[in-house]
Amino acid sequence: MTNLIKNIEINPLKTSSSLGAAVFFLGLKNTVVLMHGAVGCASFDKVTLTKHFRENIPIVTTALNESGAILGGKDFLISGIKNVYEKMKPDFIGVASSGLTETNGEDIAGIIKDFKGGQDIPFANVIYAGTPDYKGGFEDGYINAMLSLLTEAKILKNKIDKKGKSYKKLNKTAKSVNVFCPFSFTPQDFLELREALDYFNLKPLMIPDLGLSLGGNLDGRGYLQTTSGGLDAKNLPDIYKSDFNLIIGLSLKDAVGNIERLTGLKTYYLPNICGLKNTDKFFNLLSKTTGKEIPEKYKRQRSRLMDAYLDAHFYFSGKEIALALGVDLLDSFSSVYSEIGANIKIGISTKVIGDIKYRFLNLREGDLDMLYNCGSIDMIVSNSNAKFYAENLGIPLFRAGFPIIDEIAHNYKHYILYGGAINLAVESADLLNE
Amino acid sequence: MRLAVKEEYFDEPTCEHNKEKKVCKTATPGSSTGGCALDGAYIVLSPIKDALNIIHAPINCLGNSYNQRTSKAVSGKEYYMYGLTTAMNENDLIFGSEDKLRQGIIYTNNRFKPKGIFVYNTCVPALTGEDVEGVSKELSDKIKIPVVPVFSQGFSGNKNLGNKIAGDALFTHLIGRKEPSIDLLGDFNINLIGEYNIKGELFLIKKALKSIGINVLSTITGDSTIEEIMYSHKAELNVVICSKALVYLARKMKEKFGIPYIEESFFGMTSTNKAVMDIVNSIGNMELVKKAKDYIKIMTKKTEEKTNEYKKFLTGKKVLLYTGGVKSWSLISALNDLGLRVIATGIKKSTDEDKLRIMKEFDKNGNIIMLDNGNPVNLIKIAKENNADIILAGGRNQYTAIKSLIPFLDVNQERLEPYVSYEGMEFMARLIYSEIKNPLFRLLKESI
Repeated sequence: MTNLIKNIEINPLKTSSSLGAAVFFLGLKNTVVLMHGAVGCASFDKVTLTKHFRENIPIVTTALNESGAILGGKDFLISGIKNVYEKMKPDFIGVASSGLTETNGEDIAGIIKDFKGGQDIPFANVIYAGTPDYKGGFEDGYINAMLSLLTEAKILKNKIDKKGKSYKKLNKTAKSVNVFCPFSFTPQDFLELREALDYFNLKPLMIPDLGLSLGGNLDGRGYLQTTSGGLDAKNLPDIYKSDFNLIIGLSLKDAVGNIERLTGLKTYYLPNICGLKNTDKFFNLLSKTTGKEIPEKYKRQRSRLMDAYLDAHFYFSGKEIALALGVDLLDSFSSVYSEIGANIKIGISTKVIGDIKYRFLNLREGDLDMLYNCGSIDMIVSNSNAKFYAENLGIPLFRAGFPIIDEIAHNYKHYILYGGAINLAVESADLLNE
Repeated sequence: MRLAVKEEYFDEPTCEHNKEKKVCKTATPGSSTGGCALDGAYIVLSPIKDALNIIHAPINCLGNSYNQRTSKAVSGKEYYMYGLTTAMNENDLIFGSEDKLRQGIIYTNNRFKPKGIFVYNTCVPALTGEDVEGVSKELSDKIKIPVVPVFSQGFSGNKNLGNKIAGDALFTHLIGRKEPSIDLLGDFNINLIGEYNIKGELFLIKKALKSIGINVLSTITGDSTIEEIMYSHKAELNVVICSKALVYLARKMKEKFGIPYIEESFFGMTSTNKAVMDIVNSIGNMELVKKAKDYIKIMTKKTEEKTNEYKKFLTGKKVLLYTGGVKSWSLISALNDLGLRVIATGIKKSTDEDKLRIMKEFDKNGNIIMLDNGNPVNLIKIAKENNADIILAGGRNQYTAIKSLIPFLDVNQERLEPYVSYEGMEFMARLIYSEIKNPLFRLLKESI
């Protein structure tokens, strides 16, 4: 029995590439995501995202039916785009495909291109990310959508250049920077990062900006059919006028080359900005590129972090932790835990990355069911779906990652920079001490 | 390969929608609709607590969204809530993944020892033509538990259709395959169909029925077991609860086993009283009828006492109700019990018969707006124009309502408490009361 082949995902950690693309698009302002597939493809994503972010999630479907599945979904896609535009007047329509629509081999990119070419109404930026569910995972869809947006922005910029319009020179007292963050950033992380950049007088274009779009806000506009905030369409050409790119996230490593090539800008890449060492690197980089000193606020935070590490480290001694997270959180959380000297018994992720293997006794690609029979552990760090295992083992679950559907605090917490590392260290210590 | 679904699903003689035949199939591209057939089938089958569900699909169909239903079960491991999928990849697409499915089923069987496994066919394997039916049959013989194929590919239709497909799977593969032991049978045995025990609602209904002396033999499918479903044909009456889609199953059971069925709702006191009386009248035992009457009298008095304070505050308050189909009229009745006035209700999924029932409630209610369009913008507009005090709807409209600073209560899947039967009436009254009364909405309106 023990030799049985386990060729099945039990409580998967992995999510699909179409979800990744959808999430990226949701970080753009006044946007609607159009899922090209059967109604369920949109509905499942929408339900989970709504529960996770506790916000209205504008995802709609092309509602492919039997005849569309067999004979091709072109008409569904085009009438979907038209209907969305007519009803909601978004600035962006982000089209993500699905296993269903990619299996029959339709040229979706071509359909959209032809369609856009044939229209003279001011059509929204229709951006397409090919995301067959059977290929890759969340990060692949996220990067696909990211590169599609950059390509779209380049076309836009070239058009403006051709018209010979010289746009306003940017206010050069402030440098501007394109910031690419992974989905592992909570809305609060996005806001914290923005604030840090602000201290260095850097004007960020967050691509995408999930802090402004899904971070929660209430204003006189009431209910909106599209995303209420995020990267603004009118800033698209500005992407190419920024002073440099800042790419954060281990999962975005593969995209670094493409982003650098597409934008033609100087590009800095940091795998994560969590914990003492990594945050040092981040602030040193900002200080070097701007010539400004590290602000007092962060120096103070740094010293508090070191003290918090000291206070917290007792609670980790002799304890063993299991992490089941996507690559970015696995990297950033494990860097804090290793700084504090915690034993990470097992790391489960959607991909095994050699660079960080040394922090784990055991690092594997897989599903949450690997938490069953991984021996004695004292705390699980994972998403809401790991609840079963934590309850069965009678140990605490530190909720992080996606989806978190059974608590609301995560959208208001941050785990990046010195302050985030403090949060992670002391919250973990408290849970271990329970 | 089974690509097209049975035409029979669309030909429901008892369904009012039947006149237009394929109306259940359509959805407009570019709109936000509910779930697909897979979603619908999973909702029906996943509450069975000693069975497991394997979604044969790429990661999308399960990975993005599982473990989100709130069906409760007594004494049992939570395995039935686990999300299992074959997570088909590109190679599986090219070389086929029937072997993967076989290995998955065998592993699942060894790891969890379930009493049954449901295997869901989905869009991609349906297109590539995997023989899910064949594999299921083969494995069923091999591992000696029912392995039930469910043909729920999403492009076939909506959630409603998925309910039917699941009902059909139960009917074809399980129901009538076992006899109940004597001690499970009471004097009067009924089945509840379409009750998923959300927040423990089934327990409340069972409690009421037990007090009168009615035994719920099987529930399809809240808190149920594979065995329980197998012997459900021994009941003398099927009670379909708030589900048009599973009338299909009830009708099939009537044709094959001669079990009559009735459709009831347990939302609110009036409905609960009516349901209890309908059930005892259908069984036709005079002693039972008397017992039921006495019970109703006691419970009505008790519930009225308990909800009285709330009712005083709620009387005349205006509700906008937006929920699908059957629930519209059954909830209106519950809300009227509390003195609330329903100013508008959704009828998108309602049949003509449902609409008629809504109109019946209309007399007690005054003018009512029928909302044919679930567009959130429209919803808010109507709520504002009519000064609705609260919106009762499904989770997808939660943020629509609260972002517009209109009090909201979830009456669908994610409801906070059980709403059915006499106890549920109390919960519902308390929740609506505290939501409308909450000073937060005024504070925020002043602060914006």
